[in-house]
Amino acid sequence: MATFELYRRSTIGMCLTDTLDEMVQNGTLRPELAFQVLVQFDKSMTEALENQVKSKVTIKGHLHTYRFCDNVWTFILQNATFKHEECQENVGRVKIVACDSKLLTQ
Amino acid sequence: MADQGGLEGSQPVDLKKHPSGIVPTLQNIVSTVNLDCKLDLKNIALSARNAEYNPKRFAAVIMRIREPKTTALIFASGKMVCTGAKSEQQSKLAARKYARIIQKLGFPAKFKDFKIQNIVGSCDVKFPIRLEGLAYSHGAFSSYEPELFPGLIYRMKQPKIVLLIFVSGKIVLTGAKVRDETYTAFENIYPVLTEFRKNQQ
Repeated sequence: MATFELYRRSTIGMCLTDTLDEMVQNGTLRPELAFQVLVQFDKSMTEALENQVKSKVTIKGHLHTYRFCDNVWTFILQNATFKHEECQENVGRVKIVACDSKLLTQ
Repeated sequence: MADQGGLEGSQPVDLKKHPSGIVPTLQNIVSTVNLDCKLDLKNIALSARNAEYNPKRFAAVIMRIREPKTTALIFASGKMVCTGAKSEQQSKLAARKYARIIQKLGFPAKFKDFKIQNIVGSCDVKFPIRLEGLAYSHGAFSSYEPELFPGLIYRMKQPKIVLLIFVSGKIVLTGAKVRDETYTAFENIYPVLTEFRKNQQ
C-alpha cells in the first residue's frame, strides 16, 4: 500500500530521519535500509493514527486562506483554539494540510 | 448606492417608480466576463488564495473574495462567471478584482464583454396569498404543484421574469438582466397579489 510522507516532517519523523542520517554517515546502516525504515515509518504512522488514537481534537479559528488542489486541502487559521478534552490552547497562526486517505487505496 | 437598496423604511420610496411602496431587495447578481487569454488552472489553484480546483468534478477553479463577498468560476478558456454580489456595481468590482488576481499571477488577462446575466430579488408583501386562486385565474402563466414545490411559479411574459410566490407573502423574482425589470415585474404582480390576499380567520 502506498503511503503519504506527510508525517516525516513531524517531530518524531525528523528525529528518526536525523538518526538514520547519522547511522548512514558513520557506516552502521546502508542507505537502502535507511530508506526502507522511512517507508515503514510512513506506514506505521498511518496505521497507528487510524487504529490506536481514539482522542479527538477540535480546532476553531478564523479561516484566513483555504486551498484545494490535487486532493489536498490547505487551511491557514488565525487565532485558533485547539481543544482536547479539558485542555485548551490558543495559537496565533496555524497551517493545516489534509490529504484524502482514499487516494492511497485507489 | 444612489438607488434604494431595499432597506425598507430607512429611505423614502419613490412612489412613481414603486407604486406598491415596496422595493424588491437584490439578493444575487450573476455576471460573466472574458479575460481573453488561456489560463493554466492548476497553476492558478496552487498560487492564488482561497481557490478550489478538482478537475474530476468541475472543470473550473472556484475562487472567493471577501469584499465584495462573491464567488468566481474561472475556466481554462479565460471565461469567468462571478456570483453572489448584491448589486451590479459590486458584481463588476468583484469581477475586476478577480481579473487583477489572475493578472498578478502572470496571465495577460483583459476585461472583455462584461455582462450582467441574471438578477435575483426578493420582497415580502406582508399578507398571505391564495395560491390556488391565483394559479386558476392566471393559468397561462402559473404553475402550482404544492406536492412538488410549495411556491407558485409565475412566468411573466412582459418583462420576461420568473416569480416564485409563496403563501406567506414572500416573493422571489429572477431572470432580470437589469434591475428595472425586477421592479416592473413586481409592480405588475402586486395588484394581482392583493386580489388574492387570503382572509385570515
